[in-house]
Amino acid sequence: TINTNYFIQSNLSMAELLYRDRPEWNDITPIPLPYNDREPVVQIMYSERFKDVYSYMAAIMKNKEYSERAFDLTTDAILLNTANYTVWHYRREILRELKLDLAPEMEYTRSVIADQPKNYQVWHHRRCIIEMSGDASKELQLTEETLDKDAKNYHAWDHRQWVLNQYAMWDGELDYVDELLTKDLRNNSAWNQRYFVINSTVGWSKETVEKELEYTADYISKAPNNESSWNYATGIIKKNSMKYTEFLCFTDLCRRLHQSNVPSPFLMSALAEIYIEEENSTAASNIFEKLKELDSIRANYWSYRQQELTAC
Amino acid sequence: QMLGLVPEMYQSIDSSRLTVLYFSLSALDLLGKIEKISDNRKQEIIRWIYSLQNKPCDDDYARCGFIATDSLPSDVDANYGHIAMTYVALCSLLILGDDLSRVDRDSVINGLKCLQLKTGAYQCIALGSESDARFVYCAACISSILQDWRGMDKDRATEFLMESQSYEGGFAQNVGREAHGGSTFCSIAALTLMNKLDDLPRQRRNDLLRWCLQRQQTGFNGRPNKPMDTCYSFWLGASLKLLGAQDFVNQDANFSFLMTTQDRYIGGFSKWAGYMPDVLHSYFGIAGMHVISNEVEIHPALNISMRAFRHWQDNIATTAV
Repeated sequence: TINTNYFIQSNLSMAELLYRDRPEWNDITPIPLPYNDREPVVQIMYSERFKDVYSYMAAIMKNKEYSERAFDLTTDAILLNTANYTVWHYRREILRELKLDLAPEMEYTRSVIADQPKNYQVWHHRRCIIEMSGDASKELQLTEETLDKDAKNYHAWDHRQWVLNQYAMWDGELDYVDELLTKDLRNNSAWNQRYFVINSTVGWSKETVEKELEYTADYISKAPNNESSWNYATGIIKKNSMKYTEFLCFTDLCRRLHQSNVPSPFLMSALAEIYIEEENSTAASNIFEKLKELDSIRANYWSYRQQELTAC
Repeated sequence: QMLGLVPEMYQSIDSSRLTVLYFSLSALDLLGKIEKISDNRKQEIIRWIYSLQNKPCDDDYARCGFIATDSLPSDVDANYGHIAMTYVALCSLLILGDDLSRVDRDSVINGLKCLQLKTGAYQCIALGSESDARFVYCAACISSILQDWRGMDKDRATEFLMESQSYEGGFAQNVGREAHGGSTFCSIAALTLMNKLDDLPRQRRNDLLRWCLQRQQTGFNGRPNKPMDTCYSFWLGASLKLLGAQDFVNQDANFSFLMTTQDRYIGGFSKWAGYMPDVLHSYFGIAGMHVISNEVEIHPALNISMRAFRHWQDNIATTAV
């Protein structure tokens, strides 16, 4: 699935002539890369190919040549160092200058993303291309493909949120989140996306919070030790300045699970917050006491929370 | 070893070459080995760093700051300064005992100004880039070290960071994104440097604290239900230190985890046990071990040794800090 322009190019260019041996480039005087092995400071021992490509890239950029051959050169330069933001920028300038067709560029960025899905520069480049073309029709699919391989890729989620915000393509996004949570209810990124969609569309009325708590309760029951679901449930109440006690369904759930002795530190932490809201310091203190043992790695913190109760 | 000649495979990080210098120097510093570098050699390195400082173009400061590498000539138009390179350049200079007298402060600060967006966030390069908490952090560090906040609308930057605190309590890279250990460090450190950490309302600070503490498994992860990684010991360790919550970290557990990601044969740390060590994780492994324990003192916001920080305090800082 990775075999697209980017890699075909890369396999070819490895076998191709160095730029300095290509007659069609002999009008250019390459600017050699500095190489200091007398007083080296993080002196990278660049390969022949790297030095060749970048010495020509430097000359082209210095001359401000915006041409097809310069464009192809940036492809080689990016292959050798995909994080080179200066070269990516120059590539964009050529695209604009020559008014090149953006469709192949979309394909190209897709293949680079497939190869290096955590590279900042290619995602930014893709965003710029979309801003130029105004066509965001492929982005949900692209990010979905990327997330299929790594469901928590921060860049993919970032891009997806940007697209949704910018082009208001909210239809079906909640369904997508549902799908992801069905596949993995511990996918914290999916939970975050859920918050994002609701926040950006219907907003947080009491009814919505109630509905979302019911939705989350289901997942909590399936896996009571899943931090993501608890963060979501407690988060939607607190972020919207509401109170736990406004939501009987949730407080009942917590009490029920506690009565069944479900050993979940997240449950206990939520219950403690509920007790504190109900001004029941004794009950809260008991919870913190239990947490010192159940969640012993944070024993000092739970002690502190206990002490905090008495300090009015 | 990283300070001298570096293998071909590092070609792909040529564009952050200065950060490799910083990681190497700061690691040596934390290990108490900075004095092993001769004065001559220190001057060589300092000279190289300054060679990466861009000059303004008439009244245009957009390209100012430091660049990452000398592989592209500095007079190529598009070779603009990069905010993270400026940050690590200043840190590296401090570690080497330089007095920053060759830093063109006005140009650097004016360059910073070009990078702040209407949202309050920063880009890393004036040509255009992604904008997020990482670069707000860099801006805060630069402004702090140079004691000049004219390149930073602190109120707007603070607003951006506050908006980026998610429902979970941690900070994301941007508004609406997922809370993350790295961006949480960047945000807390930036707020601290800007003196805005106390702007956080009590409930939100409590949620932030709890989220940070929940990241500890034995070592730390960066997000719920994700695996631990060496570098998060620093991102979260430093965050918790800045929140005054270092006593709530289980140091033994953290230390045990970091011992497993250390490479017995090559030295250094990797992200996970059994993987190839790299300079970034090696640095953060060391820093992560010490940021809480205080066996070696680290400035938890600037991410340099307290020794380097005291050099800044004693020899460079012009007002009482």
